[in-house]
Amino acid sequence: MAWRIGVDSGGTFTDVCLFDDATGRIEVWKVPSTPDDPSRGIAGGIAEGIARVGAVPAEVGYFGHGTTVATNALIQHRGAKTGLITTDGFRDLLEIGRQKRPDLYDLQADKPATLVERSMRLEVAERVLHTGAVETPLDIAAVRRAVATLKAAGAQAVAVSFLYGFVRPEHEQAVLRILAEDFPDAFACAGHEVAPEFREYERLSTAVVNAYLGPVMRGYIQLLAQRLADLGIAAAPHLTQSNGGVIGFGAAARLPVRTVLSGPSTGVVGAQAVGRLAGLDNLITFDMGGTSTDVALLANGESRLASEAVVHGYPIKAPMLDIHTVGAGGGSIAYVDSGGLLKVGPRSAGASPGPVCYALGSTEPTVTDANVVLQTLNPHYLLGGRMAVRQDLAQAAIAGLAGRLGMDGMATAQGILAVVTANMAKAIRVISVQRGHDPRDYTLVAFGGAGPLHAARLARELDIARILVPRSPGILCAMGLLLTDLRADFATTRLIPLGAAALPAISEVFDGLAIRAQQWFSEEGIAPDARRATRTVDMRYAGQNYELPVALPDGPVTAASLDTLAEGFATAHQRMYGFVAEGETVQLVTFRVESTGRVRKAAFQPRRERGADASAAVIGTREVWLPEAGGFVACPIYDREKLDAGNRIAGPAIVEQMDATTVILPGMTGRVEPYLNLILEAS
Amino acid sequence: MSESRPSRVDPATPIDPITVEVLGSAFASIAEEMGEALVRASYSTNIKERRDCSTALFDTKGNTLCQAEHIPMHLGSFIGILPHILKRHPAAGMAPGDVFVGNDAYEGGGTHLPDIVLAEPIFVDGTMVAWAVNLAHHADFADRGHAHIYQEGLRIPPIRLYRAGALVNDVLELILLNCQVPRERLSDLRAQMAANRLGVERMQGLCAKYGTATVLAAGDALQDYAERKMRAGIAAIPDGTYSFADRFDAPEIDGELAMGCTITVAGDAMRLHFDSPPQARAGINCTYTALLSAVYYAVKTVIDPTILPNAGLTRPLTVTAPAGTVLNCTHPAAVNGRLSACQRVVDLIHGALARVVPDRVIAACNGACYSVTFAGTHPATGELWVYLETIGGGSGARATKDGLDGVHVHLTNTSNLPVESLELEYPLTLLRYELVDGSGGAGRHRGGMGLRRVYRAEADCRVRVDGTRMLSAPWGLLGGEAGGMGGYATSPGMVPLDHGNGGMTGGDVITITTPGAGGYGHVE
Repeated sequence: MAWRIGVDSGGTFTDVCLFDDATGRIEVWKVPSTPDDPSRGIAGGIAEGIARVGAVPAEVGYFGHGTTVATNALIQHRGAKTGLITTDGFRDLLEIGRQKRPDLYDLQADKPATLVERSMRLEVAERVLHTGAVETPLDIAAVRRAVATLKAAGAQAVAVSFLYGFVRPEHEQAVLRILAEDFPDAFACAGHEVAPEFREYERLSTAVVNAYLGPVMRGYIQLLAQRLADLGIAAAPHLTQSNGGVIGFGAAARLPVRTVLSGPSTGVVGAQAVGRLAGLDNLITFDMGGTSTDVALLANGESRLASEAVVHGYPIKAPMLDIHTVGAGGGSIAYVDSGGLLKVGPRSAGASPGPVCYALGSTEPTVTDANVVLQTLNPHYLLGGRMAVRQDLAQAAIAGLAGRLGMDGMATAQGILAVVTANMAKAIRVISVQRGHDPRDYTLVAFGGAGPLHAARLARELDIARILVPRSPGILCAMGLLLTDLRADFATTRLIPLGAAALPAISEVFDGLAIRAQQWFSEEGIAPDARRATRTVDMRYAGQNYELPVALPDGPVTAASLDTLAEGFATAHQRMYGFVAEGETVQLVTFRVESTGRVRKAAFQPRRERGADASAAVIGTREVWLPEAGGFVACPIYDREKLDAGNRIAGPAIVEQMDATTVILPGMTGRVEPYLNLILEAS
Repeated sequence: MSESRPSRVDPATPIDPITVEVLGSAFASIAEEMGEALVRASYSTNIKERRDCSTALFDTKGNTLCQAEHIPMHLGSFIGILPHILKRHPAAGMAPGDVFVGNDAYEGGGTHLPDIVLAEPIFVDGTMVAWAVNLAHHADFADRGHAHIYQEGLRIPPIRLYRAGALVNDVLELILLNCQVPRERLSDLRAQMAANRLGVERMQGLCAKYGTATVLAAGDALQDYAERKMRAGIAAIPDGTYSFADRFDAPEIDGELAMGCTITVAGDAMRLHFDSPPQARAGINCTYTALLSAVYYAVKTVIDPTILPNAGLTRPLTVTAPAGTVLNCTHPAAVNGRLSACQRVVDLIHGALARVVPDRVIAACNGACYSVTFAGTHPATGELWVYLETIGGGSGARATKDGLDGVHVHLTNTSNLPVESLELEYPLTLLRYELVDGSGGAGRHRGGMGLRRVYRAEADCRVRVDGTRMLSAPWGLLGGEAGGMGGYATSPGMVPLDHGNGGMTGGDVITITTPGAGGYGHVE
């Protein structure tokens, strides 16, 4: 049982990462994805990967998987035909949402399509009040009629969401029972199960997204589990969730809404693990790909967990890593707008036709073209020699832009990088300064195909002093899967003023959550000594409507716990808003238990440091345009594969590897640490 | 004032288009961060849930550098404030940590009294370089009358709330005593303070990093840039004079008012003239700055929605309306409900330009910002409470697609208050919240549907409904039919509202229906 496998299945490529527990050997295998049925590409990739390393499937002891199946079904509206049963008078709430239009000034903008058409949104008489009292009992006959209507209309999934279902779930539970009796083939879920928290629209939206994705995810998981079984892999498969933890296939099939950020969260977890190995725990992750860039912040090794986010236009209440995405990447197109300023993105050249330098017919210059002109990227070929590029075409395209700006070509190419860097800096400010963190206290972890290329300039823009470039920046997500714990989050909303009278209620709520956590531990077969549970309370001043999470350490809830909560809240409020409102009532709102089942992770072995001299890794020199140095400067080119622990590289220099190029600016030094990560710092 | 004026940017300060773009991103980051801080730290539902607030950076001449507005109407509440501050308070006497508060429509540059503005000058090395400004709509001043502005709430000229970092408590106490819900006001003002403090720190950081001269030069260049884009867009519209007329109604007034606009496009400039009846003894009037926000918004939507919302975009536009009329009122006209008339200004502009750029305008929207305000004494706490909700409606059909259903249109875009939040805080129960069938005007593309919201009072309270398009329907374009009209209804036994005002007792029910929107093109 020596091999551990991580598979990250993206839109273009499926990355398979194999790790031999016994020897520490790591192998990476990349195969084209099969978007019509991603499980086919995955199974093929695993079979090829296993054969390549000479393993047998029975030796696979762990299988972790990050997938874009849920997120793609949501983006492309390929979910199931879904029905909704809701409180009388409120069926349009799903469409009205918060009644805001999508853009202030663009009158052509549209709201995201409503996932349940109006004729499939059915109302039944029932009403619970905010106190939990039932004003109108549930009309059971109406529920049966609604279920029959949805069944006749061809629904494959049904969401149930009533006002105050999180306070008093009996009505929703009754509808679920009727669905199980009258329409057992439908995927069914209710608001109180999926997101037992207040704010009716966001809870409704979450239940609907879950139902919409349910049949798709269930089908995919069954197919993949079968293919793995056919391969002879006996290990229980796991899937990453948006919260960065993995979960068993069974739980993932019930709550697909929790996997919509499976892909990007895997990258954050990979960066977290790599940072931990390197002894760094305050990190800003910078995952720059071809069309978009994801950024996240980890303070003390942990990412902030957002309890709610809008994903592809749909509000989702589920624990998600606080990942911010911008529509700019290597393929983003640069243009001059009608006011004469240079803009980059969000339009992207994609993989086809791709940047101008690919010579596939595009004439619109991209960020990649700028790098080819500046020769930060190899001007002749990319992907370690597998793909030829045409610098002359890129130069011509950028000259066109330069003419319109009244600048010269090189300054324009450099300008494209400056603009894209500014866009990235803006994204990072959202997850750092807007959340009360100073980016100067963090290390930038650069990965994805284009991250290492732009990291040095981005770090300078934000005054970030250190950059970490993982040893395989292009496959960090797949590697992250080998380093991820099992995780499930449980929450419940109950508004209680902070004070001595709150003690019994706090104990009761956390006891209830602890029981659910224990059930989950048992279901996942997690050994008692591998179980961890942490508690937090979302708190606010009575009257505010946004809460701040405050940790509550283990142990019995006592008067001292109240002090801990009060102090924690005051500190958090001070940091976030710069003031503490003395004397105001503090309210406890949502109680959360985050349960972790520690899995044995791939244990990477540090290498002994070999000395600073990196000259053995030099494979040539290239003129690179560096405005800091006033123009083209001859820079040494290093082969990343040949760098060894302890090596030092003085900037300016370029480090090339198959899946990424790293730029080290003048005034920076790169050093290779024992896990072969490259660390860039001011000299 | 000349000697106190901050060091002018050396006109020779070279600044390239890329630095301008980079610093433009930085300004936007700052304004957004201020906005997020304001929403998250605030107390009153109107700000924390409905986001009825905006934040901005201004240059020292009073021009907007950048704004993170949640509501286009706030463009106007901002533009007026700095000239009024500078008129009363010489810049030479200002110090770091001074914070000015103001709300007045005639002496403070505001558009109605609930929008309270806080403005703080930003100093770098002892020189004033810019201003951090934010505005929040305080849901207060309820149930007071709208015959003239003195009935509408406390008028605050721009005065110091903080002097060199120290709170001027006398001012604060005067304001709070005039508010029905002082606890919320105090907390919201604190959130507004925190937002400006962030803006000051971030702007100082930016100047330290790039140099003050470069930052200021970028601010000027961004305004020139917005102006160029605006001019390029106007130049693409055929020269000519285009007119449109419509009618306006409101619960506060009897009958309808005629309103018209004439737009003259000449080269890369545009003149807009508005005619309306003499100002009314009701809260429907617009100050000139309110008219300007409506015009800037409407023209931006037609010319190029991506133009930066800074002072540059206003330069190619000349806006006129006779003083003392509903659309350019003078002291002491009441202005609280200026939004409805401003929405009609947007319709007028779209209607006029439909003749030349029919594919860039949309049919008449619900034409309003329906609002319902409840106020009373909470039976559980004995404290006064005020709850304001604005209700969206249909958005006009477009040349190639249907209009949006149940949204806020044009100058407003506030969120609704979640039912589960509303019922927890106020003695009200929401019985229905739904789209109004048949309210979207037919056409090749259908107009958006209006909304219906039904409230039941659980205790005695006052209620006030404001809106328009109760007497005239939102028109369609190019053969599209009109959308449904708005209105309100009270339950049997409840005393009918008088001009939109009335009282409710526990168990009374009020239904508010907002208009749909016009269709586009003939039904095929």
